[in-house]
This record gives sequence, C-alpha cells and structure tokens, in this order.
Amino acid sequence: MKNGIIGSNSEKFFMAQHSSKGARFQAVTANRLLDGEVVYLAADNSWTEVFSKAEIAEGPEAGEALLARAVPDGFEKQVLEPYLFEAIEDENTGFRPVSVREIIRAKGPTVRLDLGKQARRQAQG
Amino acid sequence: MYRYDEFDHQLVAERVEQFRGQVERRVSGELSEDAFKPLRLMNGVYLQLHAYMLRVAIPYGTLSSRQLRKLAHIAREYDRGYGHFTTRQNIQYNWPALARIPDLLAELAEVEMHAIQTSGNCIRNVTSDQYAGAIADEIEDPRIISEIIRQWSTFHPEFSYLPRKFKIAVTGHAHDRAAIKLHDIGIVIVRNEAGEIGYEVHVGGGQGRTPFIAKKLAEFVPKDKLLAYLEAVMRVYNMLGRRDNSYKARIKILVHETGEEEMRKLVEAEFAQIDASKMLEVPQAEIDRITRYFEPPAFETLPAESAAFNKAQADDAGFAQWCRTNVVAHRQLGYSIVNISLKPIGGVPGDATDVQMEAIAELAEVYSFDELRVTHEQNLVLPHIRLDDLKAVYDRLVTHELATPNLGLISDAIACPGLDYCNLANARSIPLAQEISNRFADLDRQYDIGELKIKISGCINACGHHHVGHIGILGVDKKGTEFYQVSLGGSADEHASLGDITGRAFTEDTIVDAIETLVETYVGLRHADERFIETYRRVGLTPFKERLYAE
Amino acid sequence: MPNSKKLIIDGAESSNIWHCFDDETPLAEAPAIISLARLQDEGAELVAAGKKLGVILRAGEKQGEDVHALKPFLDNLAVVAIEFPVYRNGRGYSAARILREQMGFRGEIRAVGEVLFDQWQFMHRCGINAFEVDADVSLEAFQEALDELSAAYQPAADPQRGILWRRHN
Repeated sequence: MKNGIIGSNSEKFFMAQHSSKGARFQAVTANRLLDGEVVYLAADNSWTEVFSKAEIAEGPEAGEALLARAVPDGFEKQVLEPYLFEAIEDENTGFRPVSVREIIRAKGPTVRLDLGKQARRQAQG
Repeated sequence: MYRYDEFDHQLVAERVEQFRGQVERRVSGELSEDAFKPLRLMNGVYLQLHAYMLRVAIPYGTLSSRQLRKLAHIAREYDRGYGHFTTRQNIQYNWPALARIPDLLAELAEVEMHAIQTSGNCIRNVTSDQYAGAIADEIEDPRIISEIIRQWSTFHPEFSYLPRKFKIAVTGHAHDRAAIKLHDIGIVIVRNEAGEIGYEVHVGGGQGRTPFIAKKLAEFVPKDKLLAYLEAVMRVYNMLGRRDNSYKARIKILVHETGEEEMRKLVEAEFAQIDASKMLEVPQAEIDRITRYFEPPAFETLPAESAAFNKAQADDAGFAQWCRTNVVAHRQLGYSIVNISLKPIGGVPGDATDVQMEAIAELAEVYSFDELRVTHEQNLVLPHIRLDDLKAVYDRLVTHELATPNLGLISDAIACPGLDYCNLANARSIPLAQEISNRFADLDRQYDIGELKIKISGCINACGHHHVGHIGILGVDKKGTEFYQVSLGGSADEHASLGDITGRAFTEDTIVDAIETLVETYVGLRHADERFIETYRRVGLTPFKERLYAE
Repeated sequence: MPNSKKLIIDGAESSNIWHCFDDETPLAEAPAIISLARLQDEGAELVAAGKKLGVILRAGEKQGEDVHALKPFLDNLAVVAIEFPVYRNGRGYSAARILREQMGFRGEIRAVGEVLFDQWQFMHRCGINAFEVDADVSLEAFQEALDELSAAYQPAADPQRGILWRRHN
C-alpha cells in the first residue's frame, strides 16, 4: 500500500478567493483532472467546458449552495480545486466573468487566440 | 557535453516509472489530489489556468541537437506545437494532458533529460553562463562543477524538504551572465594569488516579495571542498530557515535576519565538521571523467579574419547589423558565439515553435559542434560558429524568423508567462512585452537607445526578474483589473542592484506611454555613450520621476 | 503512541516500550521519552536515579530545537525521537545526520509525526532507523519504499556509497 502523503494537513486544497463578498452573481469553476481543461458546474451538476452553460447563482446563499454541489464524494476523480467566481450580467450578451483572470480562463491566452476555448469557438464558426 | 552513464539512466528511468504509478493511482482515485500534488510538483507538473504545465530542466543551459529535436517532438506530439524557455534555463510546456506525462517523461529520458526537481522545496536546476566554454578569459568551464553539483543535489536525502525552493547558479567569468547574485547560492570560479582555482560563494540573493543581493560568504573555497561548503550552507539553512511563513522561508531572509557575519560563522562551523570527514571530496578520477565531457570541441585553426564574412557584411546591411548585436567574440580565432533572439518584434518572449526548434537543432548539428545553450534572458545560443559560416546560419535563421537583431535592446525583454497562463499571476506580462516591442519596433531607434533591459513580472514572485530590470515592470491586481508598477535601476550582472519603485502604478492603457517617457528622459539626460543604467546611476530617480508623473 | 500507528525498527515491526511524558507528569517505571526542556532541567537527576531515557526533538515552524543541545546527555539517551510535524518540515533530516555523523549517536533515532511513504528512504539514508508509521503500512510496502531508488549520487549517514564515488571503486 502506497498512500503517499494522504493525511497532509498542511496543504488543504485551496478555495481561491476570486469572488468579492458583495458579488451578486457567481458561478463555480474548476480544472478537469485528466487534462486540466477549465470547466464550469452546469445546472445538471455535470461539468461543462463552456462558460455560457454554467449555472449562475444569485446571492451569497445560492453561491454557497452551488459550491456545495460541486464537491460531492469523489469529486476529485473528475476535477481539481472548484471555487466560486463573480459574474456580471450584460444586457446584450448575457453573463460574463468579472475578473481578467476568469475572462482569460473562459477564453484562453490573450496572446494566442489560436489556443484554448476561443480557438474552438472560432473553429465551430 | 555530459553524457549519462548507466547510473544516471537508471535513476531517471526509475523516477519515470515511479511517477507513472503515481499518475495511475491518481486517475483511478486511489490517491487524493492532496496526496498527489506534492508528487506531481516534484516532477515539474503544475496546474495552471488552462491546463497542466510541465517544466523540463536544461541543466546549466546546455543542449545537444538531439535533445532540442526531442523537445520539438514533444511540443508537437504532446503539446500545442511550441515551448517556452524560462529565466531558469528550463523549458515549459503549457498544455500536456496528465495521463500522457509519464510517456512524455520516458521520451525525455531517452535523450538524457528530465523534470526532476524543477519544482518543490528542493535544490532546483543548476544554471550557468550561456557562453561557458566559448567565451575568452574564462577561468574554467563552469559546467564541470555545475554537473557535479547537479549530481550531488539530485535526490539529496537531507535537502528534499527544505523550507523553500533553492536555486544555485555558477559562472566562470568575471562578467556575470548567470545572475549569480540573485540566487540562493551564486558561485564564481576564481583564481587565488597562488594561481589555484577555487570558488567565491555568494549566499542569500533572491527576488520575490523581498529582494536581496547575495552576500559573499566565502572568498575562496578550494576546489575539492566546494560540496562540503555547499552542504554546510544547505544544512544551516535547513535547520534554521523559517517555516512559519512561506514569504520568509527563503535563505535570503535567514541571512538577513541572522546577519552576514553570524551566518558566515554558522556555515564555517558546519563546514569544519563536514570537511573533517572528507566524505564529500569527489575522487579526482571522477572529476577528470566529467571534465572530459566539457573539453573544447575540435576547433579548426583559422585566421582571425574571414574574407567571406567581411564581404557578406559589406553586401548585406541586415546581416551586418545582426552581427553587431547578436554575435559575440569567441575564445577561438575564426569562431564566434551566435545569439538567437526569441524576441521577434511583437512576439511572445521565450517561445519557440517545434519547427523553429528543429531548424535550430539542425544549425547546431551542422555548424556548432552539435551544441546549443539556453540563456536566462530567454534566448538561445549557438556557441561555436565559424566566421565563415555566419552568413549561412543567419540566412537560415531569417527563414525561421529567428534573426531579430535586438540582443540586449529594449525589445529583448524578459517576461514571465503572466496571467495569460499562470495560476499565481495578478496581471498579464506577455502583452505588455509585445506592446513595448511594437512601440519601439524601429530598429534604428532601438540602436540609438542602446542597451536597455526591460523585465516584466505578472506578480510579486518576480519570475520576470523585474527587480533587476534597468526598467522593471510589476503587474498588480486591483479588484480584478491589471495595473503596472515601474522600477528603475535594477541590474542582474556583476554590479547587481535592485530597482527603485517610481511611484503610483499605471494602467494597461498608460504603461507603454510611461515607458516611452522614461526612455525619452534617458535620451535627454545621457552623456555621449552612456547606457541607460549608467545614466540612471549618475542622475538617480528624481528626474525620471518628475517627468513620469508630471501633469 | 496512538493506536492507529505502528513502529518499525530496523525493518521489523516492534512493540513500543517507550512512553511519552509531558513536562508536568511524574515519570512512571516504563522507559520515558521526555522533552528537551525537561531533559535539560531534570536530566542529571533522572540519570542518577537510573532512569532509561529518551528525548523528543521538536521541529517547530519558525524555529526548531537544536540537536546540539543533546550533547551532554548522549551517553544516557537510548532513543532520540525526531519530530516531523508535517511532511514538508524537513528539519529532522539534518538533525538525524548530525546525530549520526558528528555526535556519534548509535542509539535509536525514531521519526515521529507525519512519517510517510515518500520520505522513508530519505529518512533512512539520514540515519533514522525507527519509523512511527500508520498502522496499515505493511513491512513489504515499507521495504519497497526503502528500495525505491536503487542508487544515490551523494553519501549520507547510511553505508551506501555515492555514485560520484562508486564509479571509481
């Protein structure tokens, strides 16, 4: 039996603080275990690669409830480090992430538009 | 260059198989992420914004063409067709899938490369002068002792769980190209009055949140005693370094809090104990064995001048310009050192495509005794090019957009991956480097400005070396928006200095104008041939600050 | 020692005859592991009274206890327990080597705390010969961990010769 460093209490997986306390709308994101792809928790509790399919929670309680749904037993077989982040509603285009960091995660590197999710979207036309 | 023997091969192979098992257990769910994370980190696997990132060590920055071809192959087969050369003589892949990393590592092992100790709180990849063995006036090729240090520090049983990461750099030349004073330990090969070769040891340099220039703890450590001295430094650090706060855990903080004199005493006391045991005195036969791998290649006896080279320069102004900026004198008559800029105007600093890597590998094979180097300024070097061959090399580089004649100029910036890739970043670095490069795209203007080192970090961890940029730029985050703080007067060479912060930060929209203001201020203030750093050291921060923040 | 732990000494499962005492509790008959502070305060009289003594060296976060402080007591110590409060706190590796290589300690050096698979080989190389590990660790797994890397480049506190030396007999 090799159990590595199970039981390490020093590096609890971190819930990054990417959401301000006053955030009205939030979604949950993580990275997929097998390839690290950015994913979002969808309404049916599956993980989607596309931000527009992410479930948006309104208000802090709904946000916490959404995050709780992201970490059922065994969630780590699918994703790493789920956390809440802030979204904002735009009248014309619907929701989008607020921070530069989450915008970049949702699209891909701003210096390589041929890579990441943004490239796939272009490829799909 | 060094070649693995059966021991080296065996240990790397064992490590690959060990990691393969760990990945399988993680994917099956047997290992939690908590348990797996430190294991993947010990093999250079990070989780970044979009994907995993793998950091591969290029020990003391030396590569063979076979190795670079393998790196190109990996970029193509396991990644998205490119790699990123870093300030620590590593290459990073930004998109590998976790399940395929063990196969990737097995392919690396075929060419005697690995990702061992490229992350974690251990002794990292030993870095060195990219001109080692090629530059004149070198006291000794620093790669010999670097290789011995690499072996001594690999899987070190005592120093694999240090308070924090630990970086060692070595130079064998009075002009420091390895930023040794910004390392946890910086080693300068020196000759004493008796003519013996030994080592000057600098300890406690570093960047990050609290930058320090290293203190010279030892003037002269005799050749056979260096490992004992290093082990003494490491042991004092391992026992006394702080573990209560990761920002205070580097040896620079220990040296600062303990004081240079006391630190020296502690190290010398420990050194006396280890030295008495003689256990770390490497057999001369082993030193000789390793030295033979770094013997100079079979240089031809050539005249100092090359008619073909002179004619090519006369015929092709672009070539002549590239020779002035990117080609450096070699120790051997008739040869030269070629710098390949990975900073095309408007490009991503340090990135190279699979095709470019293969082209460079071929040039190394045909023209440079099969050797290549990686620089901490994120460029590549062909160390041994005949003057007669320079034009042919240049033409090939032009074909692959690798002949930008900008070494050491304003568009030759260091930039960390920043918020485009990095999980720790607060702001983007690369787009800023690109915008500055585009703003100053006119080469004549760059030549007029002269040597100017811009270094850009996307967060306080300072992977982009902003503290030691002539102009340093630090990205900060204010409520999810990027801002850029400027510092002036830093330097990473033998006259190392830390930059002074100018004042309030700039927005994404104003930072490039601010850089231009600084450059114009310098041009207005400089005397004759004075470089930016010299002008800054003469006039100080005030005139720059006044111009920068003038309403 | 909690029930969820077991003790492996020199590769064999061993029962733990030692009891850990805090600084206030009077020592009972059984062999006692005490703190460095208590050793320094009461060590001389305990030795005079014929007590069998062990000590625990705490690693701490900001500072760890100094292994050199054990020097006056070494002849009377049977066990030095070295604490690894979390696996990442590696102070104890240096303490173990100093005990073995510089202070000549030949008694038991025991790793306690977060003492995990990936550390055992390195701990062993540093001179630790007793391991307080999770109870479900098998001796086979333990041995496998000690053999994980088949060679070492550098010398340490174990008899293994470094590769840099082995290449030339």
